[in-house]
Formats: sequence, C-alpha cells, structure tokens
Amino acid sequence: MLAGQLMDLRSMLHSQGVIFAYSGYVTEPVLSGVGEALKQKLTIDDADTKTLRSVFAIFVEQMQNIIRYSAEKAHQALPPASDVGALKEIRYGILTIGREGNDYVVCAGNLVRQVDVPRLKERLIRIRNMSKEELKALYKEQLRADPEEGSKGAGLGFMEIARRATQPIDFDFADVDDEYSFFALKATI
Amino acid sequence: MRDKLDIEATSRTPAVVFDFANNHLKLAGESYPEDVTEFYRPVFDALDAYLRKLDKGSCRFDFELIYLNSSSAKAVMMLMDKLEAAAKKGAAVDVYWFYDKEDDTMQELGEEFGEDLETAKFHLEKMPG
Repeated sequence: MLAGQLMDLRSMLHSQGVIFAYSGYVTEPVLSGVGEALKQKLTIDDADTKTLRSVFAIFVEQMQNIIRYSAEKAHQALPPASDVGALKEIRYGILTIGREGNDYVVCAGNLVRQVDVPRLKERLIRIRNMSKEELKALYKEQLRADPEEGSKGAGLGFMEIARRATQPIDFDFADVDDEYSFFALKATI
Repeated sequence: MRDKLDIEATSRTPAVVFDFANNHLKLAGESYPEDVTEFYRPVFDALDAYLRKLDKGSCRFDFELIYLNSSSAKAVMMLMDKLEAAAKKGAAVDVYWFYDKEDDTMQELGEEFGEDLETAKFHLEKMPG
C-alpha cells in the first residue's frame, strides 16, 4: 500500500519526464541544496556550459519567485525574542525540472491572490511576445528603474527567465477560489 | 581607510578582492546571495570610501563573474554607476568584464553594462582558459 502509493507518484512524475520535483515550503537553503544536486545532474548529463547555466539560472529565479511571492505561507505567531521584527515566513510552492526530448523544462507553481492576477498576466503576456532584442531593451530599462511596489527583488526575474529560455515562456492560471488562483510558469531550455 | 577588503567566495557569493593599496579591485565567482542587500552593503561602503579618496588617481575593476541572478545584476549596475561617477570626477577608471566564452548571456550582459559607461574605460574580454 505504502510503497504502491509512493511508487505511483514517482511513476506519474517519471512518465512526464520529471527528474527533480519539490513540493512544499521553500527556503533559501532548499534552493542551495536542490541547486547543487541539479548542477551535479546536469554535469553527469554532459550538458553544455550554456545549457547548464541557463537551466540553473531559471531554476534560481523560479525558486526565488516562490520564496518571495507565493501567497500560500506559514509564519510563527510570535517572532523569537532575539529576532524581533524579523517575522519568519515560509512560502509554499511546487517546482519540477524535467526533460522533453532534448530540452530541459523548469516548471514552477504557487498560489497568487486573485487581485494580482490581471497585473501578472499582463506582464507575462508582454514578456512572452517579445523578441530577444526587445527583452534586452526592457531588461535594461527595468534595471535602471525603481522596483515596482510590492517587489522584493529587482523586478527582473521573469525577464531573466525569458532571456535564458530557448522558447517563449508558457504560463497558466487556474482558479482555486474567490481569493486565490494557482499560477504556473514553464520555461524550456 | 582600510587598504584592502577581502571576502572569500562561497557557493552563492563571489570573492571580493579590493586591493586598495594597488588600486586593483576584483569581484569573481557566482552571485546569487540569500540577501543581496546584506551581502553588497559592505562592498558598496568600502568602494564609496575608496573612490572618495581616489580623486584624479587611477583604478582598475575586474568583474570575473560566472553567474549572477537578477537581483545581483542590480547590485552590479550600482557598482558600475559608482565607478562611472568617479571617472566623471576625473579618476582614470578601467573596468574589465571577463566572460566565459561558452556562455554568451554573460557576454551580452557585459556589453549592456559597458554601454552605460561613458567616461570609465570598458574592456570586454574572454576569461583565460
């Protein structure tokens, strides 16, 4: 029963070409650890340098998007006395890395608030439809701009993913309830 | 002012070798820190203090980065801005961007940073080996 259930889960992932799968709360040390294993696997696969760096770069941006922006989170009721003000939050997401033919695919999914969906969609459509040259120009512009309200990074993550990917990014949203939607982003390298 | 700033590389942060006595500064390795602001703050502070004293002197800054994430790109841009500002005030600043010839993304990124340097001299070179 136990082995059967886990094996089914593994087989399902395997049949979709998934090599790595992480579903759960994501922290920076998780990113470091999975990242190291990913680099090793890509080296074993004898991936060329550019592919290795691109898969890794996209993995980092996808993981950091979950860490910073997933709307599904857990936090301590009270921060430890020594660390007042630094409310420790952890955020939930799912990330897979797999193969599709000769390509690598990095998919990430997490909950987002319904109110943020239109703005996210608009940004992603814009980025998806851009040529590499247009992406380069927008990246430069954004590098110089002040980060958008609510941004915890440089606001460059999606652009970095699109620039490193060898095909246009793919994304989708699925309604969960009135408040939340599930957001999925796929990059092919 | 300190005559050097030496920070050892980790798997997620680059080596910082600021040899102020010899006016040779270097950032080398990978950059995707857990907290970009925390990592780069002392680097910015040391560079600011050094550049204030540099006046019309000369300095060389080597970027030898293998990989940087998008938030680190912003930090690198700020380093470039500081170097450009010092050059505009009369310092002779040479900025070297070394890239791995196998990774044209890092070459392109170097070109993009280089485009914004007007007074500081920009050099784009392949990493040796």
